[in-house]
Amino acid sequence: MITAERKPFTEIKEMIAPYRKVLVVGCGSCVAECAAGGEKEVGLLASALRMDAKISGKELEVKEMTIDRQCVYEFIDQLTGVIDEYDIILSLGCGAGVQAVAEVFPKVHIVPALNTKFIGETKEAGLWIENCRACGDCKLGFFAAVCPITRCAKGLFNGPCGGSRTERCEVAPDVPCAWQLIITRLNNMGRLDLLRKVQPPADWSKQQGKGPRKIYRKDQRT
Amino acid sequence: MNIESKLKKVLDRGDFAVTAECGPPKGADPDVVKSKGQILNGYADSINVTDNQTAVVRLCSLAACALLKAEGLDPVFQVVTRDRNRIALQSDVLGASALGIRNILCLTGDHQSFGNQPQAKGVFDIDSIQLIQTVRQMRDAAQIMGGEALTKAPHLFIGAVENPFADPFKYRVARLATKVDAGAEFIQTQCIFNLNRFRKWIELAKDQGLDNKVYILGGITPLKSARMAEYMAKQVAGMEVPEEIIRRMKSVPANKQRQEGVRIAVETIQALREVDGVHGVHIMAIEWEEIVPQIVQEANLFPRPQV
Amino acid sequence: MDQKTAGLNLTIFFCQQLDPDQDNNRRALEKELGERIRFFPLPCSGRIDPLHLMCALESGADKVYLVTCPEGTCRYREGNLRAQKRIAFTQELIEEIGLERERLELIITSEGNPSTIDEIARGILAKEASVEPSPVRIL
Repeated sequence: MITAERKPFTEIKEMIAPYRKVLVVGCGSCVAECAAGGEKEVGLLASALRMDAKISGKELEVKEMTIDRQCVYEFIDQLTGVIDEYDIILSLGCGAGVQAVAEVFPKVHIVPALNTKFIGETKEAGLWIENCRACGDCKLGFFAAVCPITRCAKGLFNGPCGGSRTERCEVAPDVPCAWQLIITRLNNMGRLDLLRKVQPPADWSKQQGKGPRKIYRKDQRT
Repeated sequence: MNIESKLKKVLDRGDFAVTAECGPPKGADPDVVKSKGQILNGYADSINVTDNQTAVVRLCSLAACALLKAEGLDPVFQVVTRDRNRIALQSDVLGASALGIRNILCLTGDHQSFGNQPQAKGVFDIDSIQLIQTVRQMRDAAQIMGGEALTKAPHLFIGAVENPFADPFKYRVARLATKVDAGAEFIQTQCIFNLNRFRKWIELAKDQGLDNKVYILGGITPLKSARMAEYMAKQVAGMEVPEEIIRRMKSVPANKQRQEGVRIAVETIQALREVDGVHGVHIMAIEWEEIVPQIVQEANLFPRPQV
Repeated sequence: MDQKTAGLNLTIFFCQQLDPDQDNNRRALEKELGERIRFFPLPCSGRIDPLHLMCALESGADKVYLVTCPEGTCRYREGNLRAQKRIAFTQELIEEIGLERERLELIITSEGNPSTIDEIARGILAKEASVEPSPVRIL
């Protein structure tokens, strides 16, 4: 999923300072999964904003709404008619969601309450870890399903580097050496042969793109 | 061009080679580089110039190599893949050769978070092995990555590093083999304090016939103090300093520790000369280049062969 | 009535395993104090959600208590441990808006001690609340 974390309260407060009526919009997908922007988190933020307004003696009306996804028109459309009553929309969607909503309602000021972080997994309750950098050219099959771009600090395709010690990466003691893991797994599978040939350089144009990357499906276009 | 790598000539002759490291300054003064070069002149066959080592901004390796070249020395151009993409790297390879630099050492480089610019973007467009392959292709096929022809091929003796003290140990030799396959012609290892582990590594390398395919130079770093030994043991990634070495350094008074460090370095060199499969030493006296002449002399490696 | 919590609005969330007859036992205090005291029984203290605590404060509570079963006796094993973590999390949220963390208090009962919600609540009322009326309250 896409993970995110809520911005510091002071930053959010500053963004909505000029306004009197705010709609806090949550998203029921990725950000709900990582406990940053789902219905619960909308409730917590809205409550904090209302109490803060009372304490500061400021007039602020805060309403809440959570839609299933903020990145798909069919769901964003649920805001039609609702959104006009507000001065500002405080979105708890990821960067994709905030922008998608803004595309549908370009006249409304929409601000992000979250900092979008990374594509990752819920490793344990309360722990999310990055595991994909959307390089557009997945080679996980060669690396025992351990992404060297994401999980090796230097993105080596022919690792490990000389700083790998006791299965740890040189950058921090709590970061496992991805290459140690790749080698161990391939060894256990009997496929160390996959590492014998020199892995060629990545085609970074697939990740960087020329501006925003696109996927186009002719069969799905109306 | 008629310029040839001194290091390559010494190794091809079968002589025990000596290289030494020169660290560029954190400033724009060319004289610092020149004086270090003069200190090392005659005591090493070729001189390595580090490339923003530990991700700390220093006078660039290419410029420092050019300065050493102008002093009549034979530099080894160290290149890390952390700071430049393939366009810049291939460009620098051409530039180095044009300046008469005849040796290149291809490394990945320490992660940017270690240095004085931790907010920098670590490039890592290609890794050190892909770089070795690229330089080899540029030299032998006169082509850049992707196959486009060069008007004139660079002329460089290609080196890489290996660390017998990093993990996973068994895989280190497989990685050495991969580097050789990619085109590495000489290897400089991480500095050696644990001779037993190093000997085991050489044995494994020999089992694969690698000592016949690539020249191996053992790394040597003279210790300045017991504290330095402890620091290296605990804080430097991929470094191994056995307890006996630390104890030995601690057992002498502070003002005698430098000489003890030199003694250990000389003993290690002498031991390496006896190891079959080792073709030379690479002395990394970081910020202590002045000590190299003494080490080379006491190890009976002076004078260097005239090539 | 004790002076220590006089004039303050108190909300008490509590684990109903502590007093199976809590519905009856809290009536006396509810009558005495009226709007000043609110009781919310939970099937387990671990069922507390930060949102409940925020709502209580937003509704005008000056102080919110969460009463849990004694350590190691949670019927659902770790309810009281989760309760602790959620109180801590909510304390950080309220500090962001300038409310003191003391407005949320976790009370872990000990074995054999006050056994009815009435006794528990009276014990709370007699304790030092350490907070002023909340700035959120419309006074």
